Amino acid sequence: MLIPVCPLADLPRGEAFRLELDPPVAVFHTEDGDILAIDDTCTHQDASLADGWLEGCQVECPLHSSAFDLRTGAPSAPPARLPVRTHRVVVKDGTVHVMLCDAPPNLPPCPAARLAGDPT
Amino acid sequence: MTTSSLPESLIATLPGDHYTSQELFRLEQEHIFESMWFCVARSADLDRPGRYRTFQVGRESVLVTRSRDRTVRAFFNVCRHRGAQLCTQPSGEVKRAFQCPYHAWTYDLEGKLVAAPNLTKMPDIGRTEFGLVPVQVREWLGYVWVCLADDPPSFEEQVVGDVVARLGDAEVIERYSIEELDVGRRIVYDVAANWKLIVENFMECYHCATIHPELTEVLPEFADGYAAQYFVGHGAEFGADVKGFTVDGSEGLDRIPTVTPAQDRRYYAITIRPQVFVNLVPDHVILHRMYPVAADRTIVECDWLYLKDVVARDEDISRSVELFHRVNTQDFAACERCQPAMGSRLYAGGGVLVPSEHHIAAFHEWVLDRLGPPSGRAGVSRGSRGDG
Repeated sequence: MLIPVCPLADLPRGEAFRLELDPPVAVFHTEDGDILAIDDTCTHQDASLADGWLEGCQVECPLHSSAFDLRTGAPSAPPARLPVRTHRVVVKDGTVHVMLCDAPPNLPPCPAARLAGDPT
Repeated sequence: MTTSSLPESLIATLPGDHYTSQELFRLEQEHIFESMWFCVARSADLDRPGRYRTFQVGRESVLVTRSRDRTVRAFFNVCRHRGAQLCTQPSGEVKRAFQCPYHAWTYDLEGKLVAAPNLTKMPDIGRTEFGLVPVQVREWLGYVWVCLADDPPSFEEQVVGDVVARLGDAEVIERYSIEELDVGRRIVYDVAANWKLIVENFMECYHCATIHPELTEVLPEFADGYAAQYFVGHGAEFGADVKGFTVDGSEGLDRIPTVTPAQDRRYYAITIRPQVFVNLVPDHVILHRMYPVAADRTIVECDWLYLKDVVARDEDISRSVELFHRVNTQDFAACERCQPAMGSRLYAGGGVLVPSEHHIAAFHEWVLDRLGPPSGRAGVSRGSRGDG
């Protein structure tokens, strides 16, 4: 299923768009003109990769400097060990769309969510 | 000793406790260093985005950096989350952001909160509202001044005003093109003395013939005891056989071309309250910044500034630097000699100023005015002052 993200015009090169899904998705427009989508959440700790630092085809997590390859989802260095998922991007009629990967996401440990209802 | 008992030639100094009291120093931090424009860094110290320096200004730590838009910005060096000091080093460089080493709250070079663990689950946290708290910044003469006051005083009145008061107009200093010069040498002195002793020492030259033999050789009129700062618009003239402002009177470096013939072969000195000293000579500028850290300790950072070409060509500036480095060493030794005696019972009522030092009384009066009502500071002369 194609999910619309934003008009292409609203996503200039060097910028990212955070799509509020569960889990959220980050769509990047690289300086080279590629548009690539990955899971927005770092696999090490809950941080938004859309808030990270885009360099070439990599985005560096703003918290602990693990960088993820936007094409493969693989982390460059610890502390993140697991890849983020990558999602297919389709630009249609001037709008950026994503087609979500159906593999299970590698989200950071989140005991609070697992113990649903327990705020600790 | 009371003022009324003094002979006409003498004016009382501040009492000894004004140089030792923690409480008075705290008042000075609040009413002087945290309230006025305070010179921190050479703009070129922050030559690219992410370069930073940290400074103690009054009781606060201040982070000064250059952001992506190339402007200099300053912030309270305090994480908005749990108050950890953000940058613990006196200087350094970050690539893209300042990150608190405690919980990784991360701020961009403009101070905005850009990331924190679980931040996306707290969408009600304003990224600017919980960004670093900015401090007012001005740049002048190639230096960065900051002001921690919520409502800063006029920079023109406070900073430029002090220069105009000493030189007669601001044009005199502008002719030295200080923002265009480069730092040829920087020396940092850790002085075990109250900051006011250092200011007072810089303002007078009664001591020059005794402790500054090399300076007095270059500027023979200093033997008279009257500092250039006693007058308005006065530059002390080099001795007839002196070629340059160097430790042995030998030739200096290339002259700053915009310096006028009237300024040539002259030495000007300016105190910009509360903590900057400027010396102007035809081929270089010496700029001191004091960072008072305790009632009995002051860090002084001194820059020797020369034409860019002189620095780029790595010309020999050693004899040029040595003159004022020696003056500094001599002066700070004198200040450190005074500091322990400030607590002596003999000095409880203070000492005295001779006529060539009378202009220092105006500085004392200014300090007391900044501190507010004089209750509890009995015995201080507030009525008599020199002729400035």
